[in-house]
Amino acid sequence: MSRLDRSRTSAHQLRPFFSSQNLLNRADGSAQFDFGGSSVMCSVVGPAEVKLRDEKLDKATIEVVVRPLVGLPGIKDKAREQAIRETLEPLILSGLHPRTSIQIVIQTMKDDGSILATAFNATILALLDAGIPLKSILGAVTCIVDSETNQILLDPTTQELANAKSTHTFVFDNKSSITSTDNKQQEDKESVDVATLYSDSTGLFSEEEYFECAQICYKAAQAIHGFIRTAVQKKLEKEQQQIDS
Amino acid sequence: MASITTEEESKLLIVLPGDQLPESGLMEDSSAAHRLTLGPGLAPMDDDSITAVKAGILKHNAVGNRWWVESNQRRYVAAQGESIIGVVTGKSAEHYKVDIGASQPALLGVLAFEGATKRNKPNHNIGDLLYCRVSMANKDMEAELECMNPTTGKADGFGELKGGFVIKISLGLARRLLDPKNLVLRLLGQHIPFEMAVGTNGKVWVNSASTQHTILICNAIRNSEYLNSGECSAMVKSLVEKM
Repeated sequence: MSRLDRSRTSAHQLRPFFSSQNLLNRADGSAQFDFGGSSVMCSVVGPAEVKLRDEKLDKATIEVVVRPLVGLPGIKDKAREQAIRETLEPLILSGLHPRTSIQIVIQTMKDDGSILATAFNATILALLDAGIPLKSILGAVTCIVDSETNQILLDPTTQELANAKSTHTFVFDNKSSITSTDNKQQEDKESVDVATLYSDSTGLFSEEEYFECAQICYKAAQAIHGFIRTAVQKKLEKEQQQIDS
Repeated sequence: MASITTEEESKLLIVLPGDQLPESGLMEDSSAAHRLTLGPGLAPMDDDSITAVKAGILKHNAVGNRWWVESNQRRYVAAQGESIIGVVTGKSAEHYKVDIGASQPALLGVLAFEGATKRNKPNHNIGDLLYCRVSMANKDMEAELECMNPTTGKADGFGELKGGFVIKISLGLARRLLDPKNLVLRLLGQHIPFEMAVGTNGKVWVNSASTQHTILICNAIRNSEYLNSGECSAMVKSLVEKM
């Protein structure tokens, strides 16, 4: 089965990912994450001084700002801000930095579908770069159910999104691999359920379709976790090379 | 969650937030009275496991069974006992307010200097640069500083930094500059006489006989962060030759 995106042969193939950390000079942490033609840049400032109005006595105030590709932020961007903030709030150990602010700014650089997933992945890389204490890392993937073939396509492009019957974005943490390795044979719905940090679905879909999407995205998220690990490892090795030699 | 094996197969043991430390590995030396000291980047979780909360290199010191994560960041979070460089931003009857690059300004008592008394104490103005020690750091309170060694009451090199130039670098690079074997500083020292103070808050003060030399040293330090030994010597050589 061929895809509208000619560069890929399989329905469950992700586009090539790319990431780069520590790009911005004045932010405390920054990262760029690309899924093929989609690119998102994220900057993190914090733990920094907090405005008295936003101050929380027992934890850090987490602020997320989403900037669209062009023009001013609209309703869609505000919804994304809320989704990302509510996913990150339990992930960031904000109790370690009370009465501070952690500001996360997400800027879309190129849009070719799956922007929310790209933004999540860019954000986690920027948070790692900034050294913000986290409970775990995350990996985000989008998939669609094609309206003509009823096939599940992973990491859709803008063109493929136009043909979607339903769109699903999932975010998984890296804590769940314990359950999946313990019972490799029965990677059932429960093991996915444990790991889900965020799930967003639009369109018409059945329960089976939803869980199938979750399962496929969960597997793809493992690849993203691995990629994040490699990216961090490369950066650390570069920093350490003078000491080793 | 990917559990970490304590096999010594790779020199760098990289951990990411969410990675659990195996309990067996933590208690490898039973003689140490089963005490465990966790440093930065590690935290006990609700399920009694010990988990990394920062991305970095897992380090271990057998003395006291200490474990910590060596990570790099740009934002300073005050920690007791560290030497830092700050700028005076305010002054009251009892305290100086000092900007140390953390989320809040730190407090420096006007009497926290060598030999300071109520009648005779050093006077610093807004904008002065101070090399000081963090005497108290707590996540819920502003950090407190002092400009003397608390055991001897001597200045021990702490105090105002006059002249020179300050640059901001990453905290990881600042820690590496404190290593006596640091390559870029040794190479620079072969060509140019200079003095410097490294604050673990990522601020570095450099002073030399001429402004040109100071700028060169600052640039060389900044450039050295992601270079290996060979590239570092070539970089310093080309900078010195261009002078």
